[in-house]
Amino acid sequence: MELRASARISGKPVDLEGIVAGTAVSTGIPGERALLAFAETGLGDDAEAIGDARQRVCGELGERSMVDAAGIIANFQRMVRIADGTGIPLDNRWVAATADLRDQLGINDYPTVRLMREAG
Amino acid sequence: MSFNYGRSTYAIRDDIPVAHREVWKKIREPGCWWHGADRIAFVQEARNARSCMACARRQAALSPHADCGPHNGTTHLTDVVVDVVHRLTTDPARLSRGWLEGIQAKGVTDEQYVELVGVVVAAISIDAFHRALGLPLEPLPAPGPGQPSGYRPAGVAYWGAWVPTVRWEDVREPEADLYPGRRPGHVISAMSLVPDSVRMLLTLSAAHYLPLECIRRPNDNAGRALSRCQIELLAGRVSALSGCFY
Repeated sequence: MELRASARISGKPVDLEGIVAGTAVSTGIPGERALLAFAETGLGDDAEAIGDARQRVCGELGERSMVDAAGIIANFQRMVRIADGTGIPLDNRWVAATADLRDQLGINDYPTVRLMREAG
Repeated sequence: MSFNYGRSTYAIRDDIPVAHREVWKKIREPGCWWHGADRIAFVQEARNARSCMACARRQAALSPHADCGPHNGTTHLTDVVVDVVHRLTTDPARLSRGWLEGIQAKGVTDEQYVELVGVVVAAISIDAFHRALGLPLEPLPAPGPGQPSGYRPAGVAYWGAWVPTVRWEDVREPEADLYPGRRPGHVISAMSLVPDSVRMLLTLSAAHYLPLECIRRPNDNAGRALSRCQIELLAGRVSALSGCFY
């Protein structure tokens, strides 16, 4: 959701399908393939794959960007568990503003959304 | 000194080890509802979960309620608590209100649960940072002495989450620092039943992602090397891969 806002401000078109489709769809963001590969491997335990992805980000975007990326990948492994573990609803400011986007990206089909609907 | 990144291959911003040390120190101390030894055991079990065969079987099972055998727990925690930590670590997208009610029926209170969540998610993110950089995991600290405080903030109530929270408009001293500035997103107030869980979250988020005051300014990257669009691409992709709608 924040990506759409930052893309609007930047004035550069961003295809948000890349969020759910990964590298299959280009978002148009510089370094996206390297960053997405780092995010995807960073959720797992394959040290060799993580190392390869890390080096690719270093090579394409620089070491400082790679360290920033590591922090963000770490951060959102925390945030998703807070959301999933406490059953928080979507913030009011995002409900209407992102209704089209959540449908378009298939987010409303996620198990977390289904479980919340079942629970009322 | 803990979190000494001086020997790392990469130059790591100074604010990151500072945040990690601050949170590690908090984790080892008694909380509101658990002893320091319990809180450190949560971290150990979160680490155990990543190689737990029962968790692997459950992740592969159609139902999160499938009997997948015992976990590979190595701590003094009860089986119920070990299961909570392992599920939160390996299968968070299939947690549900009904599951939490079942945990509560087995004696885990809302307060205990929220404190556990706060410690586990903090540890998971610090460990994830180390894995991403190819660093060894930080050794667990020794537990600090003392008893849980039993502190429960004023103004908590059910506001849509599975657990009670303190709303921005109800927050009072000594919790006024939890929501600096404008009304926070629900993910910030989610753990406000145990205020230090929110404080750990704010500390880590400021170092790993962005300081709170920057988040709502869509072009603010807080001086990071990545642009805000690159930052949000990573954030969105991790959330999507985790099946998280938020």
